[in-house]
Amino acid sequence: MRNKRLVAATIAAVTAISGLIVVTTPAQAAVNFCNVQNLQQAGGMDALVKAAKAEKELNIITIPRDWANYGEAIDLFTKAFGIKINSDNPEGSSAYEIQTIKTAPASKQPDVVDIGVSVLPDALGIGRKPLFAPYKVATWNDIPSEWKDPAGLWYGDYYGVLAISYDASLPKAPTSIKALLTDPAFKGAFALSGDPTSSQQALMALFAVAGANGGSATNILPGIEAIKAAKANGNFVSVIGNSANYAAGAYKATITWDFNGPGAIATSTAAGKPLKFVIPSDVALQGTPYLQAVNAKAPHCAAARLWEEFLYSQNVGKGSKELTAADIKLSGSKLMKVIMGGQNIWVAGAAHPITEAAMIKKKTIVDAPEGFAVPKTAKRIAPSPDQQTEQKAIVVTEWPKL
Amino acid sequence: MKQATNPNVDMKGASSKGGAFHGFLSSFPLPLVPLFLFLLIFFLWPIGALTGNAFKSNEGAFTLSNIQMLFQDPYRLAFKNSITLGLISALVGAIPGLLIAMAIEKQGSQTLKKFVASISGVLANTGGVPLAFMFLAAFGPAGLVISALKSIGIDLYGMGFTLFSFTGLVIVYAYFQIPIMVIVISPALTALRSEWKDSAANLGASKAQYWLRVGIPLLLPSFIACFLLLFASAFSAFATARALTVGNIALVPLQIGSLIDGNVTVNQFNLGYALAFGMIIVSLLAMIPYIWIQSRTSKWQQK
Amino acid sequence: MATEMKNLGSKIILLVTGIFIFFPLYAATEFSMRNGAEKTHGLNAYRWIFQQSGFAENLAITARITVLAVVLNLLIMVPTVTWLHLSGQRYKRLIEILTILPLIIPVVALATGAQLALPSILENTVYELSFMYVVVAMPYTYRALDIGLSGHPLATLTNAARNLGASWIRVLMNVIVPTIRPSIFAALFLMVALSLGEFTLAQLLHWTTFPVWVTNASQQNIIGATALAVGSLFFAWLLLFGFTFFGGKNSNTVQEEA
Repeated sequence: MRNKRLVAATIAAVTAISGLIVVTTPAQAAVNFCNVQNLQQAGGMDALVKAAKAEKELNIITIPRDWANYGEAIDLFTKAFGIKINSDNPEGSSAYEIQTIKTAPASKQPDVVDIGVSVLPDALGIGRKPLFAPYKVATWNDIPSEWKDPAGLWYGDYYGVLAISYDASLPKAPTSIKALLTDPAFKGAFALSGDPTSSQQALMALFAVAGANGGSATNILPGIEAIKAAKANGNFVSVIGNSANYAAGAYKATITWDFNGPGAIATSTAAGKPLKFVIPSDVALQGTPYLQAVNAKAPHCAAARLWEEFLYSQNVGKGSKELTAADIKLSGSKLMKVIMGGQNIWVAGAAHPITEAAMIKKKTIVDAPEGFAVPKTAKRIAPSPDQQTEQKAIVVTEWPKL
Repeated sequence: MKQATNPNVDMKGASSKGGAFHGFLSSFPLPLVPLFLFLLIFFLWPIGALTGNAFKSNEGAFTLSNIQMLFQDPYRLAFKNSITLGLISALVGAIPGLLIAMAIEKQGSQTLKKFVASISGVLANTGGVPLAFMFLAAFGPAGLVISALKSIGIDLYGMGFTLFSFTGLVIVYAYFQIPIMVIVISPALTALRSEWKDSAANLGASKAQYWLRVGIPLLLPSFIACFLLLFASAFSAFATARALTVGNIALVPLQIGSLIDGNVTVNQFNLGYALAFGMIIVSLLAMIPYIWIQSRTSKWQQK
Repeated sequence: MATEMKNLGSKIILLVTGIFIFFPLYAATEFSMRNGAEKTHGLNAYRWIFQQSGFAENLAITARITVLAVVLNLLIMVPTVTWLHLSGQRYKRLIEILTILPLIIPVVALATGAQLALPSILENTVYELSFMYVVVAMPYTYRALDIGLSGHPLATLTNAARNLGASWIRVLMNVIVPTIRPSIFAALFLMVALSLGEFTLAQLLHWTTFPVWVTNASQQNIIGATALAVGSLFFAWLLLFGFTFFGGKNSNTVQEEA
């Protein structure tokens, strides 16, 4: 009797244990890409590409096509991997990205975000889960440590330097910020690209103007005073410096990021009023890098991570126009080595990729477009996030009194 | 048409669905239920959520600090500017709009009326970047009209005219304010029957007496309603102001945009909601003159 | 003589108005006909948006939203405003206050509130925009209907019809609706125009409607964007102008019949 029961129990135990072994054999286990934190966990580039292609779509948010040459990145990614990219509100703000993650329904969640530093505290949150999922790209070690999160929640992608964009038909070129604001040749010419209490780019332009007039990253008031004076003498036009108003002739020059250059030059030429870009000779304002992150609620987890690998690839390769049908048939890892990496796509857009230093050392960086070199006379100013927060309070109260 | 099948339409008014069970419901008119429900779900509830957040701090605790900030610059300045802009723009839209509607009524041509009705409907919806562009292309520093005038010696911008000012905003807003007035007041003008004018004349009234005793009192409620609409429209206009200014004129909708959707102040959403709440209060206060005039002139209204 | 002076006065008003309306449109049209870098003019920019892939798809989305919005609008507003005039005068003031509120709330705030409050069933369908558009248009549509109804002896007409034996449905269809047909059409057109041009709410609720798609596609082509703005203005106007002939009889005709 007891023997029979003992045998039965043993058989049951052995069956159960072997069942357990079957279930947990790694070869059979499916990878949940929403928990993947690096390429190794994904099972290699081929596996990541395969999973991403199966997802078929990628949701991006607030990415204008002519911003840092993102249009080319979007086209190349879609052509190479066949993944349709849904672009929500290209002209939106970083705050919009975070609000969307917090409030949008599941189908409308972005997969990845490209945000300014100012919204990071809100995104990481205190006392609640951060909005991002950790992921460390293959080139993680080339990202400077001050611009990445140790856990991999966020990482810098590129930064820009402020340039003066001006109507090519101006008889005299404004080569310095001081001249733009004071030289009578530029009467009715200068407009700010936005409201500095709302637009990061306009706020940084205000820092640049401050720097050209005795101020600094810790003293923005001289910038506001200088613009007040420019308004009085007629050089400053209080209209928003966007492309539509430029085409209508409302203003002739503004201060904008260098990486907006190639896109703006193309658009303005098509409209019949070509623009020229130049880095000012008196102040070179370096912006804080923008930050990439993967949404913890991403609807397309593998595609999101593939997009990050793509953006941080330092490869020199084919662009969207050169890619052939034969290339597309290659396996994931081989295809990644054929196409141009995101870091270099940004260089072509006159942006400064975050792994710039490493790429220069490894000689894997392409040439930047002509005309965006920083003059040696320019004073370098790079306001830190804390300095920006301090000066913002002054801008919010003083600017409406213009 | 669908109206015929709407079972809630009960022209006799409330309480026809008798019975003690519906007793308490009978005080609330059934025909108003569809509208109420609709507004409740798609308007009042979202606004309630918004208002609730106006009184919350970033951590979720109840606080009045957001509301207190409304009384300090630059937000106080923004309210002052927005209210002024609303009033002036409403005047600049209402009076010319009324005159134009009267002029059209006087011409009497049906085709003209149709033409005006259709173009007003279209223009009333212009705004934002396209409208700003149209004005800049015509009246901007390099605009067609400005350049043409310059070539014959009249330099408007040199003389101090500019679109980039408070006045400029009022001028641009008029482009959609005047059509709104024309659209809304024309039916009222049409309804002022010509027989009344004739009868009044027959009874010995002069033109002025007719207008004073008959015409204006009949038109006044509609005019005030239109004026209120224009005020609200200018007070809350966002896209056009943003296209034409660069923060130099503090306006409440622009500040709300900066707080809720901007890249510079990024942790004060609740202050943005508080500003929106402030806008609601101002508009409710603006209704008071209308209600007063309504009650005074209701005796002139046809029952 | 006096009438001639009056006529002259009104003609001058119309002339000045015409100039004010005309020049911005003319300037924008001239710009939209430029051929970019070349100094010639043509209609190339007007063809541009039709050549963009996504045109038909996005237009269809907006069309569907508009149809639902118009149906909802008429269903809710016409019977309600009629009832208010016939038997519900004491509620008029309350309704007036309620219906002007959507105008005062900035669209940014309304969209944010909607995301906080609305159930996810609604949030995941593009038709949530139809409901929001009815709300946004309500200040205008209510007033159009209200002012149209004010000018008519509605109670007299209704009582007369009822006395002659007409049912309420008959009264609504054959007496009230024809009387206020111009106002109904005004309300309808306001709704359609809003739907075709409304951008902010659609974008903040993360939907790609026709206006949203157009704005995004226009970022790199300013002449094309202007052609679009001008083109839709003229097209909408032609459409409305045509409809006013169907819009039916003027109130004067009703008087003649009565």
